[in-house]
Amino acid sequence: MSLSTTLYAPLALVALSAVAIYRAQTPQTTRQMPPVQQTPSQPGNQPTYFVEHPDHIQPGLSFQGRWAELTNPYEGNAQRIAEGAQLFISYNCLDCHGADGSGAMGPSLQDNRWHFGGTPGDVFQSIYEGRPDGMPAWGGRIADDQIWRLVAYVRTLSNGHAVATENFTGKTIARTGH
Amino acid sequence: MTPGALLRLTVLGVGVLACQPSGAPPSSDSSLVAGAKIGTPPPAVADGEWSLPARDYANSRFSNLAEITPANVKNLHVAWTFSTGVLRGHEGQPLVVGNTMYLVTPYPNVAYALDLTQPGFPLKWKYRPENAQAAVGEACCDVVNRGASYADGKIVYNLLDGHTVAVDAATGTELWRVKMGDLNRGETITMAPLIVKTRVIVGSSGGEMGVRGWIAALDLGTGKELWRAYNVGPDSDIKAGPRFKPFYPQDKVVNSGTASWPGDSWKVGGATVWGWISYDPELNLIYHGTSNPGPWNGVQRPGDNKWSAAIIARDPDTGEMIWAFQPTPHDIWDYDAVNENILVDLPMGGAMRKVLVHFDRNGFAYTIDRATGQVLLAKPFVPMNWASGVDLNTGRPNVNVDKATAQGKNVKDICPSLEGGKNQQPAAFSPKTGLFYVPTNNLCMDFEGREVTYIAGTPYIGGNAPETGGPGGYKGEFIAWDAAHGRKIWGIKEPFPVWSGALATAGNVVFYGTLDGWLKAVDARSGAVLWQFKVGSGIVGAPMTYTGPDGKQYIAVYSGIGGDMGLLIAGDVAANLPYDVRERGTTLPDLARYTSWGGMLFVFAL
Repeated sequence: MSLSTTLYAPLALVALSAVAIYRAQTPQTTRQMPPVQQTPSQPGNQPTYFVEHPDHIQPGLSFQGRWAELTNPYEGNAQRIAEGAQLFISYNCLDCHGADGSGAMGPSLQDNRWHFGGTPGDVFQSIYEGRPDGMPAWGGRIADDQIWRLVAYVRTLSNGHAVATENFTGKTIARTGH
Repeated sequence: MTPGALLRLTVLGVGVLACQPSGAPPSSDSSLVAGAKIGTPPPAVADGEWSLPARDYANSRFSNLAEITPANVKNLHVAWTFSTGVLRGHEGQPLVVGNTMYLVTPYPNVAYALDLTQPGFPLKWKYRPENAQAAVGEACCDVVNRGASYADGKIVYNLLDGHTVAVDAATGTELWRVKMGDLNRGETITMAPLIVKTRVIVGSSGGEMGVRGWIAALDLGTGKELWRAYNVGPDSDIKAGPRFKPFYPQDKVVNSGTASWPGDSWKVGGATVWGWISYDPELNLIYHGTSNPGPWNGVQRPGDNKWSAAIIARDPDTGEMIWAFQPTPHDIWDYDAVNENILVDLPMGGAMRKVLVHFDRNGFAYTIDRATGQVLLAKPFVPMNWASGVDLNTGRPNVNVDKATAQGKNVKDICPSLEGGKNQQPAAFSPKTGLFYVPTNNLCMDFEGREVTYIAGTPYIGGNAPETGGPGGYKGEFIAWDAAHGRKIWGIKEPFPVWSGALATAGNVVFYGTLDGWLKAVDARSGAVLWQFKVGSGIVGAPMTYTGPDGKQYIAVYSGIGGDMGLLIAGDVAANLPYDVRERGTTLPDLARYTSWGGMLFVFAL
C-alpha cells in the first residue's frame, strides 16, 4: 500500500461533514509527511530469497518503521502539553479513553501498555491513521500540529506508571469519571 | 458483610448462608399479592424450553419447572460447562429449544448450537458472522450482546456492528443478514430482538454517541424492514399519529419530539432502544424503553427532550406510538428508561389491573396501566435523593434542585448514580409469590457537566460522573418487591452492584449472580440464601432453566464479567488483548481481587 493510499484510505469513522464544526481552534499547518523508505524493486515472479533484510524483517508491527522515526516538536513542552490536554477534551478523546486517559470505551492511556507502540511517532500514527478496534483516523481532519500536541499530552499520562504487578492489599487505584 | 468476610467464610466452607436477608420472612403459603399473575399467555413452547430472551412475552423470567426446591437445592452441583471462547461481558441468556441449546457470545457475536442429547454436548453448528471490528470501539459499555430469540426454526440476533441476522436453527446456515445501523455514526446493537408474530423487533444502541434512537420491525422470513420508528423527531418520524394518546395532558403536544428540544438538537438526541422488549398479544402492543438524551450535559438541550428516557407502547404491526410516558423528563443524570417492562395483572386498590412494572434507572419502581400509560404507583426501590417522589397527577418527578446537574458545576452525592438503581440486569416475577425479584445497585455520584461538540462516531457525553457506594456500606442488593403496594419485602445486600438478571421458578427458588462470581439460590418467599457456587468470572448475564433430555431440571448461566459495570475492567485493554482484570477504580475497589476475565457457560443440576 502506498503512503498516499494509507493517508486517504476511508478508515475514518468521522464523517467529514460532521467534523466541520470543531470549536477547538489552532492554526492549521502543513502536514508533515513521514519519510518514505524505498524498497528495491524485484521482478514480479522472483522471490526475494537472497536479499538480506536484517533491519526491517521482524515479527509483529513495524514499530521501527517510518512513523516511529518522526520526532515530536512539542515533546516535553509544557505549554503545548497543556494545549494537548485541552484538545483531548475538545475532540472527545476523553469520553472514549476516560478522564486523564484512565480507560473507558477505549484503552487506558495510563498503563504504559501500548498496543501499537508508544514512541511519539507510533502515537502520532495511531491518531493519524486510526486503529482497528474503532480508533478514528484524525489525519487530514485536524491539523498535524494539533496531533503533535495530543501526542505530547497523551505520552505524559503514563509517566512513571508501572503496572506489571498489582498488589491489591489495601489498594485503590485512583480513577475518576466514566 | 465485607467482601473479605465473605471470602473468609467461604474458604472455611461455611459461606452458604453468608448473606441473610433483612426484613421479616413471610409465613403464609399463599401468594403474597393475592391474584397477581403473569399478564400474557404462556409461551408456545414446552415448560422445559426457553425460546425468547425473558422466556415469555411478559418478560417474567418465570419457569414452571419445579424439580429444584428450597428443600433440595443444597444438592445442586455443576453438571457441565462450555467455554464460549470470548472474554468480554456475557450479558443475556442461553436459549433451549427441543434438545438444543443456543448461545450468543459478546463481540464477535459467535452463535453456538449444542446438542443436549449427546455425551459431552457437542456442537451441532457454530456460526461466526462477519462483524466489523471497529464496532468494539464504538460501543459505549463493553461489547455485550443480550441474546437471541427463536421462532419458526430460526435463531435471530443482533451484531454489535449494527446488523441483524437470522440463521437456520437446525444447520446454522445464514438465512438473512440486514444492516440496521450506521457504525460510522456510532450506532451499534446490543439488545436481544423479540419475535412478535412474524416480526422481529430490533432497537439501536449508541445513546452516548449522539445517535438518533430507533426501533424497527423486520419480516422474520426475509429480513425485510417493515417499519422503523425514531423516538425523537417530528410526529411522522416517531409515528405519533391519531392513535397516539399519552395519558398526561402536558404530553399531548404536536411534534412533541421536536418541540421539546432546542433547534435541531433532537437530531443527535439519543433515545436508543438497547433494553428488553415486551408484548401484550391481547392489546397488540409492544413496550420498550428509550435511553438517555444526548448529550448528558443538559444545558445544551433545555426542554423535556421527548421521547428520551421514556417508556413507549407501540403497535407491532405499524410501529405507531400508542402512548408514551417519560419517567425522567429532561434527564440530566443519564437515567435511561430502557429497563424491562414486565407485564402482569395486579390487584390495585381492590380491582385487578393490567399493568406493566418497570424498575427505572432513576430509582423509582413504576406500576403503570399498560393500556393507557397511567402511573398507578411509583416508589423508590433503592436509596435516592435526586427526587422526593413522583406526582401521580402528572407522572413527573419532584426534582430536588440541589441535585440538578449543570455545566461547569460539580454537584456532589447524587443518588442513584448514572448506573441507576437498576440497569440492564432484568428482574423476574413469580406468580407463585406475586413478587418481583430485582437485582439493584446502591451507588451515588458526583456530576460535572461540560460543553461538548458533536463529532460523528465519537462520544457525545459532556459530563464527568465519578461514582461511589451509596448509603449503608453495600453497593448492591437483591430485593423482593411487591408492585401492588410499592414496597420491598426482603433484600440481600451485596458488596458489589448486582449486575446479573434474575430467574424465578415454580419450585419457589429464585436465582441470581453477583459481580464477584457467585451464583446464588434463594428462597422465593423468605429471601434466605439456600445455596451458592463460585464460578470463574463475575456474572452479568441472566440465569435460565430448562429440562434436559433426561427429564431433569437444569440451571444455566454465563460467567464472564463486563458490561457497563465491568466496563473499566473490560475496557482497560483491547478486546483481543485480555491481559488482566481491573477493578472499577474508586467505585469498586477490590473487585479485581475476586474475579477475572471469563467466558463460560455453567450448567447445574441436582
